[in-house]
Amino acid sequence: MLQATNLTKKYGEQTALNSLNLTIKEGEIFALLGQNGAGKTTTINCFLGFIEPSSGSASINGVSVAENALATKKDIAYIPETVMLYPNLTGIENLAFFSQLAGFKYSDEQLGGFLSKAGLQNTAHTQRLEGYSKGMRQKVGIAIALAKNAKALLLDEPTSGLDPKAANEFSDILRELAKNGTAVLMATHDIFRAREVANRIGIMKEGNLVSVVDAATISANELEKLYLQTV
Amino acid sequence: MKKIIAKKEFISLWRDRRFGIVGGIIVLLLLTATIVGYLNYQKIQTERASAAKSANDLWMNQGNKNPHSAAHYGSFAYRPKSPLSFLDFGTDTFTGMSVRLEAHKQNDAVFSAAQDASSLIRFGELTVAFVLQILMPLLIIFLCFNAFTQEKEEKTLQILLSQGISIKEVAWGKVLGFSGVIACLVIPIILIISVLIALQADMSFDGNWLIRTGLLALGYLAYLFVFIMVSVAVSARATSSRNALLSLLAVWVFACIIIPKATVNVASNLFPVPSNFAFNEKIKEDEAKGIDGHNPEDERAKVLEKEILKKYKVDSLSQLPVNFDAIQMQEGEKYTSMVYNKHFSELQDTYKAQNRVSEMVGFLNPFLAIRQLSMAMAGSDYVTHANFQQQAEAHRFKLVAQMNNYMRDNSKTGDWEFTVNKEVWSKLPAFQYKEPNFGSVIAQNLLAIFALIVWVFVGVWSVSKIKFSIN
Repeated sequence: MLQATNLTKKYGEQTALNSLNLTIKEGEIFALLGQNGAGKTTTINCFLGFIEPSSGSASINGVSVAENALATKKDIAYIPETVMLYPNLTGIENLAFFSQLAGFKYSDEQLGGFLSKAGLQNTAHTQRLEGYSKGMRQKVGIAIALAKNAKALLLDEPTSGLDPKAANEFSDILRELAKNGTAVLMATHDIFRAREVANRIGIMKEGNLVSVVDAATISANELEKLYLQTV
Repeated sequence: MKKIIAKKEFISLWRDRRFGIVGGIIVLLLLTATIVGYLNYQKIQTERASAAKSANDLWMNQGNKNPHSAAHYGSFAYRPKSPLSFLDFGTDTFTGMSVRLEAHKQNDAVFSAAQDASSLIRFGELTVAFVLQILMPLLIIFLCFNAFTQEKEEKTLQILLSQGISIKEVAWGKVLGFSGVIACLVIPIILIISVLIALQADMSFDGNWLIRTGLLALGYLAYLFVFIMVSVAVSARATSSRNALLSLLAVWVFACIIIPKATVNVASNLFPVPSNFAFNEKIKEDEAKGIDGHNPEDERAKVLEKEILKKYKVDSLSQLPVNFDAIQMQEGEKYTSMVYNKHFSELQDTYKAQNRVSEMVGFLNPFLAIRQLSMAMAGSDYVTHANFQQQAEAHRFKLVAQMNNYMRDNSKTGDWEFTVNKEVWSKLPAFQYKEPNFGSVIAQNLLAIFALIVWVFVGVWSVSKIKFSIN
């Protein structure tokens, strides 16, 4: 469970995030929409513990991130907008490395399984990442998140580099994870994908969460209209 | 955790083509410097040994003559190159390798390698020390400058940290990984060098050289480790890879080029050394105040004559059982030797004061500390050279004294026709340079060693203070 309570981040006079209250329950997918600088990434960085909130708190399963930065990371997985990873290591090696850091020891078959599940073709598993396309690297990032088996998933525009097919597969993976009880917070610019995959959608503007809608009750067109009105 | 990171950095670097090329060049340079240095050392060593032998042969086969004439004929002292000097030429290139030993006169060591070389020699020579002191830090900078900045820019660091590892563990993992890579380049060379040193077991090889090699290796490893830690720490604090590289290159230029030159200038301005000419003039001036060994009309010679006559209870020189000319000459010798030693030790004090400045700056700049330690351990520093000069002077004094005293005891005053043969020459042992006492060598370099230790702590501190936040 991801919870933000009066979460605020100020840089001097500027307010990057203003008193955000948000709860994402197990199995729920929450999509954050908004222009660049609206506060989406700041929110995710607060949950990751990379940004210390000016006031309020971010907590994961009831544990405050600011106070237990290392402990709360056990329960989360994170995929940034562009996954670069290590070009001199193969897909399997990259995944093995990140999994080991999270405390997992998987066999090569298991690691290959995660990569396949993330949609990476088998032939690429043992190739170095320097030859990967952006989409392929993104899939390794997804596999890293999958392999961690985290209770909460933090995604910062995860589909921006993916082709429509891969993005679609990614949506399927998210739905499956949610079904198994993972809470997902996803910042995105993709209104269509947000409505497709999310349970709830929030629209941010200048650090404020302006409106929250139920994805099931709104059409893509209506959502777009709402988005344009809001920002 | 640290090990996982270290292993990844190690493998990652090892597979990096750019590292392969640059690392390969450095290893090649190290190998070349080792082999060329060693062959050159052997050549010089053989040359000097044969020169020393022929000097001794000349002395032995000088024919029959008056002992004091033999003292004028004199001999040469050759400084053997120390077994480790092929790693670090130190001041050897600029200091002379032989001293002419003759009566009444202390000569400078002459024939330095720099005399035969073009002015390019001022840019330094390719030695193991040069590669390790100057080029290796550059390689380290190129390996480490983007250790953090790149991962930050690409957000890989964020994924890394989201796996539940602390930034400190990441930092130490990186330091260990880079250290492993550098160790893989340096340690094989150290082993090759150790074998080469062990191979010269016949030449003045004793336990000290083992300790010297060990200290040299430890010193260089510590020095490079400091560079790795500082580079990683700078990368962690830099806002971009470009800034990290620029800052580190600035550090390198200052540490390895500007500060060393500036320190030398400051030190020689603070504690100026007289020119060779001025130094010799001062000695001449002081010597003139003393007894003239060859002038019986000299005031002091008259006083000495009275003393000696009184001592032997006789009235005139012709009644003396000994040769007064020889006594007077030896008195003159004692006096000039005393004057020379006094001025020489004053000069040494000036050099020591200069060195002290450099040692102090060593606490600001580890390059100066390792440079001094390296030269001292290699036995190619100025202190070792001065030690040779002192031994050469002692030997010169011994040679002249032995000749004068033989003449005193075995001939009468005024008997310049007195000649002796080989038997007398053979009583003088050939000049044998003795390594300075190792304890004193260590004592002279305690500050440099201490400065390196301080720098290791500074490096550890700078890495352990690394933080990560997006603000």
